Amino acid sequence: MSESATKEATSASEVPIKTQDVQPTQAASDSKESKQSGSDAKNTKPTEGDAPKKLSPAELKKQKAAEKQARRAQQKAAGPAPSQQASQSKEGQKQQKGPKQGPKEDKSRPLPVRRRPSQSNAPISQAPRKESKIEARQVGLFFGHLYSQPRKHSMAGASKDVHPAILALGLQYSSYTICGSTARMVAMLLAFKALIASYQTPVGTSLSRHLIQLLGPQIEYLRDCRPYSITMGNAIRWLKDIIVKTDPSTPEADAKRDLLEEIDMFIRERVTAADKLIRELAVTKILPGDVILTYASSSIVEQTLLQAHHAGINFSVIVVDSKPLFEGRTLARKLANAGIKVRYFLITGASHAIKDASKVFLGAHAMMSNGRLYSRVGTALVSMLANAQSLPVIVLCESVKFTEKVALDSIVGNEVAPAEELLSEAERQNLLPLKNLLPKSHPANAEENNTEGAASAPSDVLKWIDGSKNLHHLQVLYDVTPAEYIDMIITEYGSLPPSSVPVVHRLSTNT
Amino acid sequence: MNAAPSTSENPLPNFDIVGVYRRILNDDSELTMPVAAIEALVEAIAESSVSTVAETLALLEHLTKVLKNSIANPISLSAGTDLFQRYLITTLNRPGALNLGPSDDFKIIRNHLISNGNIFVERAKQSREKIASFGTSFIREGATILTNGGSRVVGALLRRAAESSTMRFKVIYVISPTSTDAEGGRKTVADLRAHNVPVAVIPDSAVAFSLGKVDMVIVGAEGVVENGGIISRLGTYQIGLLAKSKGKPFYVVAESHKFVRLYLLNQFDLPIDQRILEFSITDDENATEDEGVADLNSGSSTSNKPKNSVLTATNAVDFTPPDLISGIITESGVLTPSAVSEELIKIWF
Repeated sequence: MSESATKEATSASEVPIKTQDVQPTQAASDSKESKQSGSDAKNTKPTEGDAPKKLSPAELKKQKAAEKQARRAQQKAAGPAPSQQASQSKEGQKQQKGPKQGPKEDKSRPLPVRRRPSQSNAPISQAPRKESKIEARQVGLFFGHLYSQPRKHSMAGASKDVHPAILALGLQYSSYTICGSTARMVAMLLAFKALIASYQTPVGTSLSRHLIQLLGPQIEYLRDCRPYSITMGNAIRWLKDIIVKTDPSTPEADAKRDLLEEIDMFIRERVTAADKLIRELAVTKILPGDVILTYASSSIVEQTLLQAHHAGINFSVIVVDSKPLFEGRTLARKLANAGIKVRYFLITGASHAIKDASKVFLGAHAMMSNGRLYSRVGTALVSMLANAQSLPVIVLCESVKFTEKVALDSIVGNEVAPAEELLSEAERQNLLPLKNLLPKSHPANAEENNTEGAASAPSDVLKWIDGSKNLHHLQVLYDVTPAEYIDMIITEYGSLPPSSVPVVHRLSTNT
Repeated sequence: MNAAPSTSENPLPNFDIVGVYRRILNDDSELTMPVAAIEALVEAIAESSVSTVAETLALLEHLTKVLKNSIANPISLSAGTDLFQRYLITTLNRPGALNLGPSDDFKIIRNHLISNGNIFVERAKQSREKIASFGTSFIREGATILTNGGSRVVGALLRRAAESSTMRFKVIYVISPTSTDAEGGRKTVADLRAHNVPVAVIPDSAVAFSLGKVDMVIVGAEGVVENGGIISRLGTYQIGLLAKSKGKPFYVVAESHKFVRLYLLNQFDLPIDQRILEFSITDDENATEDEGVADLNSGSSTSNKPKNSVLTATNAVDFTPPDLISGIITESGVLTPSAVSEELIKIWF
């Protein structure tokens, strides 16, 4: 995790320099619009509001210059916003936040391949108008409401208040370098620790007030990189709560130390110790001769299986996996390396896999208060198959993943990942020969004629899809498993039926 | 909490907890296993000379272990001991809450405990009557009720229904001739007949046949587990399955001290050794038969049984999953199976 973190951080560090290059050239053309942007600029108020009120004149000047730059950066995007609003009737209300979302759309959209943040701000100016039309068309299906916020893959446009640790973390989120709701929460808390450690309360405010405000842009940035998980939401709520409760009269150094200790304690209690308890309980459910089926990859399931193996229990594992993240591959590899007999299926073979299994162990993204499991897309299918075979379905889940929210289906609350993830580089390559089957009217064709010289690259396939009227790629990340399919939830509070989720949630948040 | 050095392996060598337990159980035929266990533990604490909280808990733990090891099927018993232990821990850790004055005077706390432990036993005894009064409201005029086993709570409920009202109902009593509690069942049958309730006695195999005439099923339980399923006399599970398939309501009557902190996934997840499925390629059944008889004998005698004794089909239990159960009638009200976990969490946290 840490190696990739530094890698990401270095590759990302080029970005700010480039942004600064762009802005002066844009400044002239945008200067007219910047007057009319009074209302738009207000939307950035949260970040501005953080700025301390009492500063030396020189600092004040610097700060104003920075604010102006930020406003301009937004202005570029806010320009075409009116036309966007006209064309996107469905997104009408969301566009009230237009200028805020504008820059994000612009910067992530033209990105042909993910994981290359340094490319992101090359073609900024022309893209927006055309993109917005495509957006409007795509938004027809059930999942339209989830497209409001395309994922951000660069640090460009991030508020200046965002801490470097958070900046790096955001990129790790958007590239799935840090994946899994617990891992994301822990990484976020560690980044917040770095933030608090280097934090100094400005003169004239109190720590509890200012720090909370400072958290705002950090969280916003992280959310833009990838919508935050339930665990992150829970942790943020908890952190804000303890920050608010900090006594203003405590010296800053003490308050900071207390906060850092509290965060460490939280991680230890709610994750490390909880995992240990869950593991120990879950291992007792693995009997000699069992065939444990699991879907995708969950760290707690992995720990449990390894512990059971070390305890000398003779069992085997079936890992069911699916496109496009292939998280199960790593799990299968790790388990096999540890000496456990592993079989690996793709979800297309799940109905066969389930016949050999004797128990199903699942990880969770979140447990909803109506007892439903919110987890990696495909989980519901596996649990349904298991239920049909009357196999016990066991969910391993720390109580920090419990939420008071309820989910009736996987449509209302879900996360849409960039559709281009669906096709790997190799698959795109394989599709290239189909190019002459594209309709004549297809925009990709027209474009291609202009740049005839260039050899067709795999990334062009994405353009075909983008430009195609009747084909729409959808990649949702989660689904909801009905409570009836779940036999048991193992938490650090013991084993529960799904109906007890709200009880334990209440218990874990009160104490 | 008063810190104390840990006590030796056997803090109370002269006290025969198993003997006391069996005496209590024999003296009062109306007592259930968990209540008898609690009563025995209270007696042990009264007998002992413990002077600190840690000592008390260590003593309790030791006695519980001895008691559990002495019985082949400690599920029902462990419900009582766990509950008592939990109760002790919560009261001992918060001595101030008892309003007993200075908390360092452990003697007062101990006396309070002993008297309270007795209250606990009293309350547990009364709960059966309460359940009976809740349960009778489920029986409707002209209903036919199917029940099984020798559950005292079910017996109390049906008797109450027969005594208290002018209501007329019929009972189909499933008695497996080989079962160890066939005797208890016959007693209840005789009792009901004495109260002018028509009773039909059928064997296990006739349940499906009779189900068409049945309006509701009421069964007792040895333990109610965390997901709302029940552990009960072998054969209960199949009655549950049949009742579900015919859409007959299936009610469980159980005191809440029978709630066990145990989570079963299926029949073979029971924490006890049962010898029911015995694959064999010879016809010779003598070996198992003998053990069955031996078990039966030792069950009724007062001798200590070794831990590794197994249960055979005659006194075995099975697990009825919560989706077959319509409701659990307890002294604190009628619960859905999913509420059991909530009740248990309330006790444990």
